[in-house]
Amino acid sequence: MLLSLNWLSNFVDISDLTNDEIKEKLVKAGFEVESEEHLGLGTNLIVGKVIECHDHPDSDHLHVTKVDIGKEVLDIVCGAPNCREGLKVIVAQVGAKLPGGEIKAGVIRGQSSNGMLCSLKELNITEEMLAEDSPSRNGIEELDDTFEIGETDILSKLGLEDTIYDISIYANRPDCLGVFNMCREVAAILDKPIRLPEYEGAAEIGKESSLKIVSESANCTHFLGKVVNNVTIKESPKWMKDHLRANGVKAINNLVDISNYVMLETGQPLHFYDLRTNPNREITIKDDLSGKYMALDGIEYEIEKGDLMITSNNEPIGIAGIMGGENTKILEDTTGLIIEAALFDHAQIRRTANRLGLQTEAAARFAKGLEPLSQNKAMDRAVQLLIELADAKDFEKTVEYGKVDYKPYEIEETVEHLNALIGKEYTVDEAVRVMERLQFKVRKEGNKFYTEIPSSRASDLKIREDIDEEIVRLTDFDSLVSTLPQMPQTVGALTPVQSARRIIRNLFTDNGMNETYSYTLVSQKHVDEACMPLGEAIALQSPLSEERKYVRNSLMNSMIESLAYNVAHGNQNVNLFEISTVYAKEKEGERVGIILSGNFSESKALHNKVEADFYVLKGLVYEMLESLGYHKERINLTENDLDTVHFHPYQSCVLKIGDKTIAILGKMHPNYISDIKIAGAYYAEIALNELMEIAPQKVKAPVINRYPSVSRDLSLLVDDETTAASIIKAIKKSGGKMVKSVEVFDIYKGEHIAEGKKSISFTIVYESLEATLTAEEVNKLHTKVVEELNRMFNANQR
Amino acid sequence: MDVKQMKEEAIKAIEAAETLEQLEELRLEYLSKKGKIQALMMMMKDLTPEEKPKFGQIVNETKQAVTELLESKVEELKKAGLNAQLEKEKIDLTLDAYTPRIGSLHPLTLVQRELEDVFIGMGYNVAEGPEVELDEYNFTRANTPEGHPARDMQDTFYIDVNHLLRSQTTAIQMRELEKQANSLPIKVVCPGKVYRRDDDDATHSHQFMQCEGLVIGENITVADLKGTLELMIKELFKKDAKIRFRPSYFPFTEPSFEVDMTCHVCGGKGCPTCKGTGWIEILGSGMVHPNVLEMAGIDSKKYTGFAFGVGLERLAMLKYGITDIRDLYTNDVRFLSGFKK
Repeated sequence: MLLSLNWLSNFVDISDLTNDEIKEKLVKAGFEVESEEHLGLGTNLIVGKVIECHDHPDSDHLHVTKVDIGKEVLDIVCGAPNCREGLKVIVAQVGAKLPGGEIKAGVIRGQSSNGMLCSLKELNITEEMLAEDSPSRNGIEELDDTFEIGETDILSKLGLEDTIYDISIYANRPDCLGVFNMCREVAAILDKPIRLPEYEGAAEIGKESSLKIVSESANCTHFLGKVVNNVTIKESPKWMKDHLRANGVKAINNLVDISNYVMLETGQPLHFYDLRTNPNREITIKDDLSGKYMALDGIEYEIEKGDLMITSNNEPIGIAGIMGGENTKILEDTTGLIIEAALFDHAQIRRTANRLGLQTEAAARFAKGLEPLSQNKAMDRAVQLLIELADAKDFEKTVEYGKVDYKPYEIEETVEHLNALIGKEYTVDEAVRVMERLQFKVRKEGNKFYTEIPSSRASDLKIREDIDEEIVRLTDFDSLVSTLPQMPQTVGALTPVQSARRIIRNLFTDNGMNETYSYTLVSQKHVDEACMPLGEAIALQSPLSEERKYVRNSLMNSMIESLAYNVAHGNQNVNLFEISTVYAKEKEGERVGIILSGNFSESKALHNKVEADFYVLKGLVYEMLESLGYHKERINLTENDLDTVHFHPYQSCVLKIGDKTIAILGKMHPNYISDIKIAGAYYAEIALNELMEIAPQKVKAPVINRYPSVSRDLSLLVDDETTAASIIKAIKKSGGKMVKSVEVFDIYKGEHIAEGKKSISFTIVYESLEATLTAEEVNKLHTKVVEELNRMFNANQR
Repeated sequence: MDVKQMKEEAIKAIEAAETLEQLEELRLEYLSKKGKIQALMMMMKDLTPEEKPKFGQIVNETKQAVTELLESKVEELKKAGLNAQLEKEKIDLTLDAYTPRIGSLHPLTLVQRELEDVFIGMGYNVAEGPEVELDEYNFTRANTPEGHPARDMQDTFYIDVNHLLRSQTTAIQMRELEKQANSLPIKVVCPGKVYRRDDDDATHSHQFMQCEGLVIGENITVADLKGTLELMIKELFKKDAKIRFRPSYFPFTEPSFEVDMTCHVCGGKGCPTCKGTGWIEILGSGMVHPNVLEMAGIDSKKYTGFAFGVGLERLAMLKYGITDIRDLYTNDVRFLSGFKK
């Protein structure tokens, strides 16, 4: 909301306050001044008269002038085509600071120049703000005879000296989108009296009207129309043009200007139709039209069903609430009007304005909502100004479609409740005083006070807490004490899944990995190519782009993107993990993703490194499960029958606990990551929500054996297909409870080993919890184990 | 041979020895079974019974003296040898250290954890909720019914008429209010991801994180809100900070406040971080609107409460001096690795 301080000064005396003081008070009351503009800008300006003007000898467009500024005569070179002898001009003297820079004395093509003759454009006035016939459009400004040579108060006299605040308005205060209400608010904040124009009831004049108004749409519930048979079109007075300009609205003629001005004052958009274009005196609001329609900006817009349209005689005459029509607009020879002040549904106006890309001042105000009496107030003010500035005569009575029946209501509040909510000690008189500053009617009864809510605040003030906020806003609040809630003790704690996430994050970062956060919204390809997809992906109704159209149903492709980004930016040895929820239709899951490439750990100083491979990945997954209470013994690695498109078919597997699929892990299929310039990548995706449904083991202290253990090494020659796990399982089975542990320490294929065979070596540790094992006992057991292995795996002991 | 003379010779030789080998030779020469001292002992048998004890004592003393000297000399040479060895092992201590690879938690995790821990310490629980949320919890229960102008404040990603990607963690609060309506008081913080139809740039992201807090009980005041927030900011920034309330508007709180804290960089004097104002806008807050309580089935005459919401990206950016919000979602390891725990 733009607020001109000149305009404000018409109603409120702010002469005793500095700019910073006003802004500070506004901020504390909930109105932040987001930015501040100065209309005209320029120092060291003085009125001068061109007493000589010759063509520059070395230029086809420059003039060499002598300008009388009273105290002296200056030589100034000027390029404006309208520069001529006898002209009164704005002179920026040497040292003047203008938006474009500082004026310096100089020599232009051999002619000395000690100042500049100015266009208003050089004094911060934009081209759009200039009148059509302003000399400043193509040259320097031409001052009239009211200006005296040597005068310096130029900007103020031109109405160009003004400070304009851009104030942010919260959604609950659409009333402040009108200057009258905004100024009333500022007066309350500054605790100052205010004088606003009196205009209510001004439209209650005129003879019987033949105008008929009907709404066929539920989105237009109130419509005031008024015929004015006789108006005189002319230029608006300077004060009006100044205020319009300060608000960024271009002055056109008194009729158009009045409709804009009343909108700025009251917040209610108005529209004036040329009376000649509506011979039937009939207006119908429809919302079932479609087709092209040319608005008064001369552009054709595509109208759809649902858009509110003003029609007459079944022909559209304006896009309701957004912009009038080309076919009914005010022309230079207009002599009669129909005034429209209507209420259109804010959501529909917003939809239409957004779709058409037509963000007008009117549309913005409708979209934010209007007060109940808005149409009546604006009609009154428009009639008053038409009489005053357009010699309006021969009015007809206002015709009303729908009804507005606003009855002010009272809100009851007590200081006890106020103080209990806020934690301060207000008296009832302090509270009442705030209501009076806001110009609310208020009465007190003991510690109670009753506030009557006017139409302008009806949408915001409904309950006693709303009243409390007004008091808080307008009184000193910095002195509020700080306390902590007095309430029964509660125990704060993380839930099991929240704790699990912390454990996982700590484990992986302790092992050198970086945690990532990637976007939930992804492309179609991402969800089509998902890893263990949770289900059918959810699509957005109106995505920002194709890249961000679906809610992801797995993490894999996000992690591949993160990897690819890093590789493309020269980062090697990328080891990442992420924890995030994923979604599918009717489903929610939580996933942990791990992606590894290059070296998992590396120390150049010690000349050692661990390359990321399947076993590093597996180790991380197992350690994660172990940390969460799921021991190795419960984990089954099974063949990857889920996904060999994204995973290497022979270096990937599915991890289960019981029958539940918990994770998929393995080397990524080279085809799937062929775009990334890396040797290989390893990926695991773990369904954390599935895992958390399984009860973890409780921590139990390990038993330390008091008797020594005995180890025996064993090398077997077996078929290449035989897995280590199957041999270990067999060793444990045949060795029974005396086998404490079995570990693979070597696998060998190649020279001296037949094709299709491998040598695999184990260390078996035997122990007994009851006694020290003798050599004979161990030998006997070991021989039994070896014989069993030979039988089962057709193995040869080496 | 004169015992005394032999002793002097032995002592002289031992003291002159420079190596352990020489000492070993001397040990063999004097102290072994075939050594000179043993030889003296052998002479005992030729002595008279009267002479024997005296001679024996002299020889024993000699043996003890030579042994002790030899042993101490051995120790001395060993120590010197070790010192020499250690000196050879001298290294350049200024070379680069071995650095174990330390990973990094994401800055958003760090900030979220800090917040959670501050509030868990004050007896709050951490509540979560779905990101694919019902319109009901995201808006309607938050006192923002269909057609409410505040819905326009947030451009929301809709999935269908009833479902959307939550645009505020307020949705979690609304679920907690309903869940705990019969087990008051409520003290929770609600962290999570939220989504809005914003184009991504240095200060906007279509995805970001919020953490909201909610306290419902009897006699909860704005002063309690102020005290709680001051404590939170003190813990987060490890500094005493003042806060100030600016009136604001949220549909689900009344009254509502924007909260500024004294700038953590300049302490309120004014600097580029706070754009010279001395204040940093940090969060939104207010007293829970009675309509919100009633919709959840809580008696708004008996209970009041406060709520606040803070953007985790904003906190992370303030705390760590991050200038582009997109850096938080690009996952460049050069950026991530800066956030060791």
